Amino acid sequence: MAEEKLAKPGKLVISKNLKITYSVCMFLGVLTFGLTLAKDPERAWHAYLNGFFYFVTLAVGGMFFTSLQHITKAGWSVNVRRITESFTAFLPMAAFLGVILLIGAPHLYEWLHPDIVAKDVLLSHKQSYLNQGFFWFRMFVFFTGWIVFSKIMVGRSLKQDETGDVSLTTKNVGLSIGCLMFFVFSFSLFSVDTIMSLQAHWFSTIFGVYAFSGMFQASMAVAVLLTLYLIEKGYVKGLMTIDHVHDFAKFMFAFTIFWAYIAFSQYLLIWYANLPEESFYYIMRTTEPWLYVSLFLIIFKFIVPFFALLPRWAKRTPGHLKVVCYLILVAQFVDIFWMIYPAFNESKIIFGLPEILIFAGFMGAFLYTTFRFLSKNSLVPLKDPRSEESDHHHVVY
Amino acid sequence: MDSIFDFIKGFINGKTRKVVAGIWLDEKALVGAARTAKNMGIDKLEAISPYPMHEIDDALGIPRSIIPYVTIVTGLIGCAFGIWLTVWTSAYDWPLVIGGKPLNSLAAFVPIIFECTILFAALSSVAAMIYKCGLPKVDPPIIDPDLTCHKFALFVPEDSKSYDEAKLELLFKDLGAVEVKKAEF
Repeated sequence: MAEEKLAKPGKLVISKNLKITYSVCMFLGVLTFGLTLAKDPERAWHAYLNGFFYFVTLAVGGMFFTSLQHITKAGWSVNVRRITESFTAFLPMAAFLGVILLIGAPHLYEWLHPDIVAKDVLLSHKQSYLNQGFFWFRMFVFFTGWIVFSKIMVGRSLKQDETGDVSLTTKNVGLSIGCLMFFVFSFSLFSVDTIMSLQAHWFSTIFGVYAFSGMFQASMAVAVLLTLYLIEKGYVKGLMTIDHVHDFAKFMFAFTIFWAYIAFSQYLLIWYANLPEESFYYIMRTTEPWLYVSLFLIIFKFIVPFFALLPRWAKRTPGHLKVVCYLILVAQFVDIFWMIYPAFNESKIIFGLPEILIFAGFMGAFLYTTFRFLSKNSLVPLKDPRSEESDHHHVVY
Repeated sequence: MDSIFDFIKGFINGKTRKVVAGIWLDEKALVGAARTAKNMGIDKLEAISPYPMHEIDDALGIPRSIIPYVTIVTGLIGCAFGIWLTVWTSAYDWPLVIGGKPLNSLAAFVPIIFECTILFAALSSVAAMIYKCGLPKVDPPIIDPDLTCHKFALFVPEDSKSYDEAKLELLFKDLGAVEVKKAEF
């Protein structure tokens, strides 16, 4: 039996302001989506896909990070594990939102229209993979898998709060191996199905990794912000410290570089080979007006966060770190925007209130599920056998 | 033969300094003693322990290492060198059109620039580390053989401003050292 912790975490009470914020966000999101759907359905579905993909990646990122901690038997992250576990609470709602996406899919994917496919040699060759039945089946498998894996993994963690049973921790190691194997295929194919197939003629074998790198970077940014929020509110005195934040920030820094590395790898090979069936993707993104968005990504998703996170103090100063996290989250939005929108509007950047508000709707839903999970459960795993290690976590460098 | 070995040993071990070392048997006591000694203004205070101790950096008042700064500076130099190398060789010294690309194709140069940055930064970091640690020091004099087992030592070398054998011996005894040694390191 693991010993009981000396310091007790507080119980998170969701402040009124926060409740109002996410309720208003959700309400405005639904309202704007409805209005835009009536006026300009294409635009509404593009924005819907943008928000949907953004927050599904965050939720799956939480699942990925949690299973990574189990698989490596990490001690430092025990006290902050609830944070990434809380992201997975969005998955059931994401599955529901995914069903709605399937309804709007014909507005997004040209390969769902038999008349277009019949006229197109390439698309008809890709039909054995890109067809409605298989697409629905894949979405079903992905979301079921994610929900089942995360429910079991998080469920065991929550059960341990009460029983302190050490075997739950060891059981989670095996589960995490399965979870990560499933994650590799499911997340890769999920990004291919929902984003890459928007331009079904184009293909990039590294696309799943590209989506993954942005996912990890963004989910670490959310984890940092949430940890800092809990520390500032004083709920987790002595349990979550700046040292935990420092380690999250290190992950964020590492994956800032990884994103640049993968993004460049994808670009370099296509640029070098210069094959028409691949290069058109980048030609439309390196000509005006999308060129500016590409430059924005290079500067604000890599160069600025890289230098802003490089010094040690930067990863340990809450005020500074928060600004960088918000910047990374904005850049992640722009990145997904950059992947989706040029497929439909080659010569014009469509961005306005509907895009922002529909995104805000998803954000409200994500905040609602995350904070509900955190307020219902203990903010820190209570009887984890490796708790002691995390209580005294200390980062020298 | 022996003299050659002695010569090499002397060469790679460098100079040894006289030290006054206090021996403790307990980690916490050592950290406490180190903190007190530092606050009393003893400089160049050093410690040896059988295993890494978290608080000792802070207790001894060891400043941050210069190695990260060496890394960033030489990394940036490497980056600049990579840019110069690729641009000069492929666009100025011997212009060759490859694959129909422009002579100055930054995308093609990035891998080389990146590798130059890493090469410079990594090699100079290792060099800086070796220099800062005073390596190679293969066979330094031993203060106490049990320092790799169950004893902890604080010591002050002779080049410290506060080096005064009698005073330090008294101080270490006051701080609870079980033994005070005059040794070389």
